[in-house]
Amino acid sequence: MEMKINKGVHMKKILVITMMILLLSVGSIWAAGQKDEAVAKKFVATEWEIPFLNCLTGPIASIGEYLEWGAERAAWEINQAGGINGVPVKVTGIDTAMSPETGTVEMAKLTETALVAMGPVPEPVIMAAMPIAVRSGLYSFTATTSYEYAMKFFPWSISWFSPTDEKLPPVVTAWAKKHPEMKNVVQFVENYGAWPGMAKAHEIGLEAAGVNVLKEVEVPGDAVTFGSLVVKALAEKPDGIVFAANAEKVAKIILELQSRGWKDNSKILIFSSADDGALYTTGGSNINGVMIYNYVDPGLDTPRWQAFREAFKADHDGMEPFSLSPNYYDAVYMIKQAIEATGVTGDPSKLKEERILIRDYCNNIQNFEGLFFNWSNKDGVPQDKPLFLFQIENGQKVLVEKVIPGNK
Amino acid sequence: MSLPLYYYLAIASIYILMTWALYLPYRVAHLHFMVVANMAISGYFGGYAATQWGWSFGAALLAGMLIGAILSWLVSFGIGDAPTFAVVIVGFTFIYITKTTIENWDAVGGTMGMFGIPMVKNLLLYAYIFVVITGFFIYRFDHSRLGRAASAMFVDKDLAISFGVNTKHLGMFLQTWAGAIGGVCGVFYAFFMNSLFPDFFTFQIIGTTMTMLFLGGYTTMWGPLLAAPLLWGLPLILPTEIASWRQIIYGVILIVILLLRPEGVVTRQLIRKIQVKLKLIKVA
Repeated sequence: MEMKINKGVHMKKILVITMMILLLSVGSIWAAGQKDEAVAKKFVATEWEIPFLNCLTGPIASIGEYLEWGAERAAWEINQAGGINGVPVKVTGIDTAMSPETGTVEMAKLTETALVAMGPVPEPVIMAAMPIAVRSGLYSFTATTSYEYAMKFFPWSISWFSPTDEKLPPVVTAWAKKHPEMKNVVQFVENYGAWPGMAKAHEIGLEAAGVNVLKEVEVPGDAVTFGSLVVKALAEKPDGIVFAANAEKVAKIILELQSRGWKDNSKILIFSSADDGALYTTGGSNINGVMIYNYVDPGLDTPRWQAFREAFKADHDGMEPFSLSPNYYDAVYMIKQAIEATGVTGDPSKLKEERILIRDYCNNIQNFEGLFFNWSNKDGVPQDKPLFLFQIENGQKVLVEKVIPGNK
Repeated sequence: MSLPLYYYLAIASIYILMTWALYLPYRVAHLHFMVVANMAISGYFGGYAATQWGWSFGAALLAGMLIGAILSWLVSFGIGDAPTFAVVIVGFTFIYITKTTIENWDAVGGTMGMFGIPMVKNLLLYAYIFVVITGFFIYRFDHSRLGRAASAMFVDKDLAISFGVNTKHLGMFLQTWAGAIGGVCGVFYAFFMNSLFPDFFTFQIIGTTMTMLFLGGYTTMWGPLLAAPLLWGLPLILPTEIASWRQIIYGVILIVILLLRPEGVVTRQLIRKIQVKLKLIKVA
């Protein structure tokens, strides 16, 4: 009797174990099948989304608008030509305004899904948001800030410009050499971001041309009247003026200089960051003859640039494209080239490695065909980008000289 | 925890503390904007101490709190019982002086800003521990004799004096406490952001925290606690197309609430009503 009971219990145990083994086997086979199916199923991207952390509201929203316009123009052109590897591209503008706090959260959102990002734009947001991108291994195009900011986040950021103290002095020297009789200048400097560093680079260029900087006049960020600053500058009896300040303030200071007897506008040099709409609208014909340097030449006669220019004018009441408007246009094209050249698929499961592929490609891109000129990067820094010296005539920039700074 | 949630909560903790830093002196009708300068000074000090001298976060936090408290205490000798307008002007002046000093001081990065402030493990936890501790002390203060004295001073300073309240000492105490909280916020901010920029500490912080204080309710500590995370989070969850309109949305919300509830959403009456209801539920 006892034997029979034991036998029954054993039978039950064996049955249970067999069933479990069977279930496990079926489960494993099913899982393996699923896995095989997953492996066999190739990921196909339906859209390349490029998020763009931009300042679409707030005090520099106008700059954000034309940066966005440039990026969207590039996306539109690419889609007209068949997309990236046949897949359409979409630029998604994300507004951080000037808020570092918003920038951190928006960047944190992107680190979860984005293949690559563009922006942030203003330096306070770059400073707050880029450390998150670096920690999460997300490559982002900081294409409007100076080398000195971008390099802090290498290799996860890219610099659109070479180091300030290398790129600026030659163009300032070129300006000074146009006026051999000019020996003493005063520089107006606004304490914002990289501008004091740019002012120092101007001094190097002036020294190289044998020109003495008599004084640096600080332009307060919240200044609304400029009479006292101009009196301070003119008291030094300069024969040249250099500006490293906000566009609107530069225009107003020039008007103030003229009202106090300044005659020769060609002995005024304005830096690139002031090459903005406010300079021309506030300055009007009073800034005729003033010299300005920048990184792009609007007088270039190529079909691609002319098409860009006409489209920009059509969308902006006839205004000429501003100096930074091509930056994110070129950035979108660079991303396109990186995706096509590296075979990136956009597969979320390969996000980490594909981000690195794009990063490494762009940081060392060779002979990239930008809107204005071709250039190559070395470790995220452009090697052969030129600078242009212009004279302003009736709101237009007329090319005076093209300068290619010496490379390391 | 996801990274966006982490940063949302991190900034929310800073806003809660900063709004409380404004709330405390406002208990005696002082709009003590100097807390923004305290935030900047302590933030930069903490960042510098960590990057240059290798100080730990804890040491930087303690030093930041002391710096904030001492600076506010020293200034409070002059404005401890000054009229609201004078306190506001002193606050603005300090923000301006601090920002200009930072911009012209190369050792702390000048206009370029300060980079490379180290990451700290469990920082979010520390921030919320500090929120809880601060909240506890504010709650105790609000329900103490000092708190009632502050309420009397808010309504009528002369009346408070006639009750024997030392208005200057009370004002000094609250300004010093607010300065310490501002200092702590600066250090937390520096370590959350891992970098600092002079433009981080602008009048925008005043605008945002004032909105949080007046919208949430300036008569109780619960108003800022409710309003800070909501107002800060609102634009983040709005669709991209609408998020660009957030300034207008903020403005409209502020106008509507101030018209309908001049004391803000959370008032003392509301708190009492909730307490009564909770007691009724307990009894039932």
